[in-house]
Parts: sequence; C-alpha cells; structure tokens
Amino acid sequence: MKRLFDAVPVDSEAEERAWGVVREAFAAREPEARRRNWAGPATVLVAAALLAAALSPPGRAVVNAVRRSIGIEGAQPALFRLPAAGRLLVSGGGGTWVVSADGSTRRLGDYVQASWSPHALFVVAATRNELAAVEPATGRVHWQLARPLVRFPRWGGTRTDTRVAYLTDGRLHVVAGDGTGDRAVSSSRIPPVWQPGTSRHVLAYVDGRGRVRLAGGRFASRAYEGARALAWSPDGKTLALAARGEVVLFAIATGRAHVLHVPGVRSLAFAADGRLAMVRGRSVIVDGRTLFVAPSRLAGIAWSPSGRWLLASLPLADQWVFVQTRGVRRVLAVSHIRRQFGGEPSLDGWAPGQ
Amino acid sequence: MSSSAGAAVRLDLPVGADRHERALVRDAQRGSSEAFEQLFRSHWPRAYRAALLVVGDAAAAEDIAQESFLAAVRALDRFDRRRPFGPWLHRIVVNRAIDWSRARALRREHFATAEQAAEEREPSAHARTLAAALGELQPEQRAVIVLRYLLEYTPGEIAQLLDLPRGTVNSRLRRGLDRLREAVHE
Repeated sequence: MKRLFDAVPVDSEAEERAWGVVREAFAAREPEARRRNWAGPATVLVAAALLAAALSPPGRAVVNAVRRSIGIEGAQPALFRLPAAGRLLVSGGGGTWVVSADGSTRRLGDYVQASWSPHALFVVAATRNELAAVEPATGRVHWQLARPLVRFPRWGGTRTDTRVAYLTDGRLHVVAGDGTGDRAVSSSRIPPVWQPGTSRHVLAYVDGRGRVRLAGGRFASRAYEGARALAWSPDGKTLALAARGEVVLFAIATGRAHVLHVPGVRSLAFAADGRLAMVRGRSVIVDGRTLFVAPSRLAGIAWSPSGRWLLASLPLADQWVFVQTRGVRRVLAVSHIRRQFGGEPSLDGWAPGQ
Repeated sequence: MSSSAGAAVRLDLPVGADRHERALVRDAQRGSSEAFEQLFRSHWPRAYRAALLVVGDAAAAEDIAQESFLAAVRALDRFDRRRPFGPWLHRIVVNRAIDWSRARALRREHFATAEQAAEEREPSAHARTLAAALGELQPEQRAVIVLRYLLEYTPGEIAQLLDLPRGTVNSRLRRGLDRLREAVHE
C-alpha cells in the first residue's frame, strides 16, 4: 500500500506555485533577532538624518520647495516596473488594467471598477450597468450580469467556493462565484468586504443607517456618521471602519469596538502581516505612526503582497507614490499616470503572482 | 508552534536527519530563505499526497498543502525546535483535509477547477484504483489510512496527532483496510 500511495503523482507545477506563495510569505516575515538587532539603531539613524536635513538651510529649502509643489520631485516619467513582485489591478476612465511586476500592462476592458478573486485567478469587474468575471491573463469573460448602476464588486471565499458582492442601484447584492443565484442583501453605499480565512462567506457592510453589519454573522454595530471604508485584518478577527470622525476596530469574536481618534481617514488597508495603513489627507499612517506625508492629497492605498511597499495615488499631481515600509525608507514616485492608463485609475488591489 | 502543535509527537527519524532538520528550522527562524526552501521541498510531496488522498481533488490538495506551509511560516518564530517539523505539518494538513472533505458539498468555482483538472497528471492505474477506493471511505477513515500507510505513523502517533483514543484509530484502520481490500480486489 505504501508503494501505491507513493505512486500517486505530485504535480510539480503545483509545488512551484505553492513555493512562490510560501516564499513571498517567508520574505514578508522578519525574524525576531533581526528586528531586535537593527530596528533601534536604524530608527535613530534615520531620525537623525531627517532632522539634520530638515534643520540645515539647504535641507529646509528643499523641504519647503517640495511642500509648495503638488507632486514629488524627481519622479520617473512613467511606470517602468513595480518595485515588488505581484500584479497590480487598476481601473478608471481608461478601463481596467493589470500591471505586472516588469511594468508590462494588459487592458482587460472598458470596466470602471474591479477586484481580484480570492486567489487572484480571476477579476470581477464592473461597467456602469454590468458585472463580469474576467480572466486577468486574457480578458476572457466567463460570465456577466446586467444590473443597473453597478459599483464596488468584491470577490471572496475559498478556491473551491466563492461569492461576489456588489452594489446595484444602492442595494447590496451577492451572487455565487459562477454568476448564479443573485440575491439582494441590504441597502448600502460603501464597498463591502469579505472576511478572510473562513469558508462561511461572512460579508461585512455598512447598512443604510450607517451601522456595520455582517451578512452570514450576528454582529451589528451602532450607527456611525460618514462611514467611508471597511477592511478586514488578514486573520479575519478584526474589522476596521473608517468613519468621518474616527477609525473603529471591531473585535468580531467579542463585538468590542476600539476607537482610534483619527478623523478624516478616507482609505485603509491591512498588510498580510496585520499592519494597518490609513490615508488621511496628505498622510499615510501605518499602525498609528505617520509613514509618509505627500505634497498634495492622497487617494487610495494598496499593499504589495509581501507587505514591504505601500502604493498611494496623488491625483492632483497625476502621480503614484511607492513607499517602502520596512528597512531603509525609500520613496519612488511615478508621473503621467493618466496618460499611461487613459484616465485617473483607482487602486483595486496588488495580488501575488507573475 | 500553534495550538495544534500541543501534543509532542515523535517521528522516528535517523539521528542525522533529525539533527539536519533542526538545523534547517533554526536557520529558517533566523531568516534563511534557503533553509526554509529545503524544508518546503522535503515535506511538500508527502503533504500534497496526503491532502490529495484525503480530499481526492488536486486543486484543493494544493490549496490545503500550501495553506499548511503558510501556517508554518506564520508560526515559525514560536516553533519548538526540539520537536520534529513533519508531524506538526502533517497534523495541520490532515485536519484541514478532513474539514474540506466534510464541506465538499459546497458550490465550486467550477471553471477554475475544470481547467486545473485538465492539467492534472495522469496517475497510474493502481493509484487510480486506490484513490477511487479511498474515496468510498469516510474522511476520518481516509485520514487515518493516509497517516498510517503514506506518512508511516504508528497508531499511537496517529492518536496523538488527531486527538483520538488509540482504540478509535485501530478500529478506523481495521475497517478502512477491510473496505480498501474489497474495493481493490473487485
């Protein structure tokens, strides 16, 4: 029997695919010893360098000049490549595009919003009046659904059992991953988010009264004014809400809400290692500390799959800015985004893979 | 390493191999990608086969084995190097495979699995027969058979890995083997 078991073939391509994902996860973790040895001195050195630069007359002049402009100086004239592995999904007036790590771009169609499927095998994309499941490598449409005023398509679940949530005419709907069984859930206005790490299809959304609710779960919060964005932590235990006056972290198991008094947050996203990034005005805040201040208002945010880089958009400057969040702080800016993607694109997700 | 690593299960590895694996775990904990890749490469085939034999679905087996290694990455800093890596990994693989099998009535992302199925390699006739016969067993019986005859754990070790009484393991093994023999000889 042992010989028969050993004769069961092992798919070498599966092994390579899995190793690619596991390697990314391994690269994203930081060994304890390395953190202890380097985090303190590196922080002191960076702080000292920044202080020296800011206090010296030339440094102050540079800082002021940058502040006066709306964009980041020295930006690359185009997006030649991504600074990290993975595929970036963007959508806007110029359609939906997949950007590979080598900078190559593929236009999927005339969609205005999109998101990745749970394992980035597919993309769910929306035009004004249509929802479609699309292959990212070819743009081939697997199914489509005609609905009025479609917004915020979001695909969740496991590799073998998925659901797509979307808004149509102000109502939150859920349809199975094969495009069947469409049903209305509630009224809603902001993008819903699927809880990761579970096969129970738990969807978090904000209802018409501003309460955070779970479809498929029992949780319901009090009403919040100006709810703008939701995000799950990667372990599915914490749900973050950006409202007008605060950010609220809900511990779903207990229902307890922890309030961060950070008003004006417009976008938020968790990295694969659990760090929470928020965009507020011109600032990117990670785990409560300001990581980066841009010369003009920031919009949208996306973590690289490894969690090493953050991408945000500067719409007024027609730029994207990549900020390295670990090790030496590096800021890479890219200009002429609208020209490259035929309109101002939103950041729809940065997924693993080639 | 995690709550699922609570029981101290020993696998009778040669002393040298045991020491080598401990060194790999230590180096991986210190950040060596090469060391972790060696762990991955040496354990992937058995993890994948175990998942495949329990769930009978190549895409799900890949997913289960991959998720088990991701769990290993997440818990690497807490891993007790005095314990062997394999049993801890196999415990996660087999438990996830049992969970998946219980929930397999759920709807599939059908075009994805259909494409992946087309890419699957053709197993030998004997392996196909065995896989088909395994498919007739309950997931819990499949798991015990796979742990015993693919991963070569003793009934006592299986009892510890799955938090089961040893008598339950023995009875599942006996009944599972009887049914397998019948199916293979038909």
